[in-house]
Amino acid sequence: MSTVSASEHAIKEPRGLSARISWLRDYYFQGTKRAWNNEYTSWTTGTPWDIIYNELTFYIVPETYTLLNTLGASYLQAARPVVLHPYFWQWPQVERRAWFVKEVIVNHVPQEMLPGDLLAGARFNIQTSMCFTKEESQEWIRQVKGKNGARAKMKWFHDHGYGNAGATSGHLVPGYERLLKIGWKGVYAELLSLFNALDSKDRLGAKGAQLKAMITASTMARDLALKYKELCIDLSAREKDNLRKDELSRMAQNLSKVPWEPATTFWEAVQALWINHMLVLTDENYPGAGVSFGRFDQYLWPYYQRSINDGMDREFAKEILKCFWVHSNTAYDAMIRNGNQGITAGFGQLITLSGLGADGKDMTNDLTYVILEVIDEMSPILEPKPNVRLHRNSPEELYDKVVEMIESSQGAPFLLNFDERSMAGMMLEAKKADLTHLINKDNVHEYAPVGCLENTMVGNDRSGTVDNNLNLLKAVELALTGGKDLLPFTDPMTGKTQSPKQDGPPTGDAATFKTWEEFWEAYVRQTQYIIQKCVNLYEASESIRARFFPTPYLSCMVRGCAQKGQDVTQGGAEISFTTLEAVTYATTVDSLLAIKYLIFDKNACTIEELVAALKANWQGYEVLQATAKNRAPKYGRDDDDADALARQVMNLWCEETWRHSTKSTGRRYRPGMLSWNYWAGDGFIMAASADGRAKGQFLSNAICPSNGADIKGPTANANSVGKVLGGKAKDAQGDWEDYLNELPNGASHTITFNPSILRDPVHKDKFKAFLRGYTINGGTALQINMLDPGMLKDAQDHPENYRHLLVRITGYNAYFTTVGRELQNEVIERISHNKF
Amino acid sequence: MTERGTNKDIQGTILEIIRMSTEDGPGLRTTVFFKGCSLGCSWCHNPESISFKPQIQWIGTSCIGCGICVSTCPEKALEKSEKGIIINRSLCNGCGLCAEECPSTAMELLGKKWDVHDLACELVKDRAYFEQSGGGVTLSGGEAALQNNFCITLLKELKDRGIQTALDTCGQVSQEVLASLLPYVDILLYDLKEIETEKHKKFTGAGNEKILANAIFAANYKKTHPSLKALWIRTPVIPGATDTEENIRGIGDFISANLQGAVERWELCAFNNLCRDKYKRLGIDWQFADTELVEKSVMEELSLVAKSTVTPSIVCWSGSARLEQRKNDKLTGKTENSGKSIP
Repeated sequence: MSTVSASEHAIKEPRGLSARISWLRDYYFQGTKRAWNNEYTSWTTGTPWDIIYNELTFYIVPETYTLLNTLGASYLQAARPVVLHPYFWQWPQVERRAWFVKEVIVNHVPQEMLPGDLLAGARFNIQTSMCFTKEESQEWIRQVKGKNGARAKMKWFHDHGYGNAGATSGHLVPGYERLLKIGWKGVYAELLSLFNALDSKDRLGAKGAQLKAMITASTMARDLALKYKELCIDLSAREKDNLRKDELSRMAQNLSKVPWEPATTFWEAVQALWINHMLVLTDENYPGAGVSFGRFDQYLWPYYQRSINDGMDREFAKEILKCFWVHSNTAYDAMIRNGNQGITAGFGQLITLSGLGADGKDMTNDLTYVILEVIDEMSPILEPKPNVRLHRNSPEELYDKVVEMIESSQGAPFLLNFDERSMAGMMLEAKKADLTHLINKDNVHEYAPVGCLENTMVGNDRSGTVDNNLNLLKAVELALTGGKDLLPFTDPMTGKTQSPKQDGPPTGDAATFKTWEEFWEAYVRQTQYIIQKCVNLYEASESIRARFFPTPYLSCMVRGCAQKGQDVTQGGAEISFTTLEAVTYATTVDSLLAIKYLIFDKNACTIEELVAALKANWQGYEVLQATAKNRAPKYGRDDDDADALARQVMNLWCEETWRHSTKSTGRRYRPGMLSWNYWAGDGFIMAASADGRAKGQFLSNAICPSNGADIKGPTANANSVGKVLGGKAKDAQGDWEDYLNELPNGASHTITFNPSILRDPVHKDKFKAFLRGYTINGGTALQINMLDPGMLKDAQDHPENYRHLLVRITGYNAYFTTVGRELQNEVIERISHNKF
Repeated sequence: MTERGTNKDIQGTILEIIRMSTEDGPGLRTTVFFKGCSLGCSWCHNPESISFKPQIQWIGTSCIGCGICVSTCPEKALEKSEKGIIINRSLCNGCGLCAEECPSTAMELLGKKWDVHDLACELVKDRAYFEQSGGGVTLSGGEAALQNNFCITLLKELKDRGIQTALDTCGQVSQEVLASLLPYVDILLYDLKEIETEKHKKFTGAGNEKILANAIFAANYKKTHPSLKALWIRTPVIPGATDTEENIRGIGDFISANLQGAVERWELCAFNNLCRDKYKRLGIDWQFADTELVEKSVMEELSLVAKSTVTPSIVCWSGSARLEQRKNDKLTGKTENSGKSIP
């Protein structure tokens, strides 16, 4: 793919930063050249059987598969021993782990402070011993690495194009709000009273152990804050600059109070929030993927108001927040030597802004704008990732700010979540799982997305939002072959090739099917099969995590865990789903549409010919491929007939998903659509598909139409998405007002716009109207990208991939690939320089 | 799909439907391009819309070279060459069989028959976006009014469904037809291209008498019929043709003398060359093929001329001006200009 050098078009630059923040930000981006960083350090109990590195949490990251042994061994080799408590080995594992993590972060990892920083809490990325006895270690190795262990199952599943699944850390909104209100002191008191209320048998059992571990964990933040307080006092004493000296002593005062006591001021609240948050990453040994902040501008608002009333300068509030932004980005330091500042993908410490409150009221406040300004001034910067909640009553001023930021960043520096559709999904899950006492019309507006756009409730919900990623397309492949892989699998490590074996149910020789309905029936059975297979795979890692990898600190911040005496990894949260994310949705729908069109409607070929074409990766079947690609109907064009089949695929898959629960932890499955980067990577694993896609080409992303299929523009694209999610209830009896949403976890949707849509105030209003229309017709979440010169140059080289690319130069629309080279160059020139 | 028996037989020839158009009237719109025009402007940027007859075009970037079109054509009008498919237009009767059989949609039939009710159903799909933006459906072309029975039925159905409508017309239609359409039109987009009738005839194939008379009729209609909410005049600024000061002044004087008070907006539309390849595909030599875009300064000067003749706030200009050589000049006149001058 051809790319353009940065100088050819304007890249957003940070602006309006103080000397302090400029320095911190620039320093951060020096990456490996920094003297200070937050790279993992590892810590061991010193036993010869010790295990560090919970590989299960990376089972959803195929890029790490070849590194699992190496990483595990490296952390062990580099680990520093910790002198253990004399009774350490007499405690249950959860208590050992709680003590060990606290001991390491408070007494072994150094407390440091960057110049000018207004928030304490620097190093937090650690890899700690699993604190296993020898027997536990052997059992873990057997269950994880054994012949039929979790790792082997996971590898087979991925290698054969099914997708991936694993019990993954992060991906929730801890009860940060409550913690600011009651402080760790309040949590500690609650845990003590719950422990004291246990009968003597329970005290000695699993519940007692869990509560004791949580009691230990609940003092971790206090003890660490006191260490940082000493550091601030020390730095202040040595500081020459009076202003800074004063800042440091005020920081010491903050730390002597929070996070143990409830916060009072804005500075205290942000300081407390940071320490409480970073220790989740410490506790999970995981640098923050999806550990999300929830409704940041809502729960910090009282503190902000109070401080502003007491005379805090608005700019100083931004200064504190900007330090918070720098801190959040240091999560990436965990594996900084990977290059690119250690950034492999957004970690998704998501903050939620704006959105509905009770009685349909919009909750945008001045802090919302303060935070958007911070993002605007700091951008480009990745963390924390913002998600702005829009709804039909969102104020004009918020739309203006959103559009202004999209314009200046050449694409949105945030995701947009759409409340009405999202809340309908949350109401649906409540109904499905009898949780209406926890999610109902009076509180559903308190939901918040985690990671990117995965909707959950807040402070009591761990719903495994990225844990199961299933390629729906596999069921089409199995229906075509009667339950076998289409292609033989060659192990890249050994070079050995295995011929396809019967794996799925024998749904018969598809060549004998007389009707589309027969094929659909086979697809139904194969879909049921691949979902069951994914559930079985997940059970392996879920049960191991529940047994061996407690996170007692995090459990303190998830309502339900203390009450049940159960770790969050054991399903302790009040709301504890796990989520099945469908990957390849549009490719699957389009493949089914193509099979129906080619074989049963048009008699363009037989099933045998189609299967032969797919096996040959379309080589020698170019006419058939072109027909499948260009003539068969596609999802994403607001074509009611095609979208009706898309609905069928959605319904089938959702119904099957809801049928399942984890055995070890009793977590119900719920459906979502997010494909992270799998849609690209798995395109090289999965065989050619009936929609005309060749092996090696990308699959479709989340709920988006297939690449190049949305030839009717953004409104048609959005309408299709809204429709397959359920649209509106005909009788106005939707799950939230008249809205329906099959996917409580949400659906990732990306649309690329031509930047000329924002070229003047009149067109900006048109774009805002599109977003308002999306709240009515569209999906749960939207990422807005802007067409960039690099994409247009790629379209010149690969026109076949960009036939949908409509360029809209004032007064005239043209498909980019159908205008001549010279004019194409002119369009690129205009887009490079915002000249329309 | 068809529920209304009476509408079933009424069919229109439609070139294209563009969703989320931002250029054919206020708000977000769905624009229907009708095929067939009563003028034949030499600069037309939709040359495929001029003829009423269905036409075939071949899009090279989409072609896989299978040759199915050649063997399909009953008239033997297609030939495969090194440069691609050559269409012998004297033999092609526009039957569209090649387009039906083409696996890659490289052969395209321009002009499809639509049942009026089916079309209305297609056009209302973006209602939510219309309502949020003050937009609606625009009938454009070609000249939509030439398919007047189809248009009236379509407009009626759209109005019944509560959709805002716009008609984009060149004005070269009978007054009777115009009068029959206007009751169902919310916004009239009306072209005044050239004030001197001889030149008008030279550029477009017809004098401007009827067009000017219809413009006066429409303006008077608007004054007495509140259902017609807006009248926008559009003037294409074509290098070497309509881009003279006299022309703009003449049109301005005409507006001032005859349409005063009825025109909400007068837009000067800069010449567009993106359609160059359309002419190539249709096998038409285009006299503007090598014409450069208008310079920004010219558009600005002509806007000043326009403003001197009418209420200045109604004047704006749109379209792409020639790219400036100076790299530091980031904004075009477009960005500074339009928006502000639109009331």
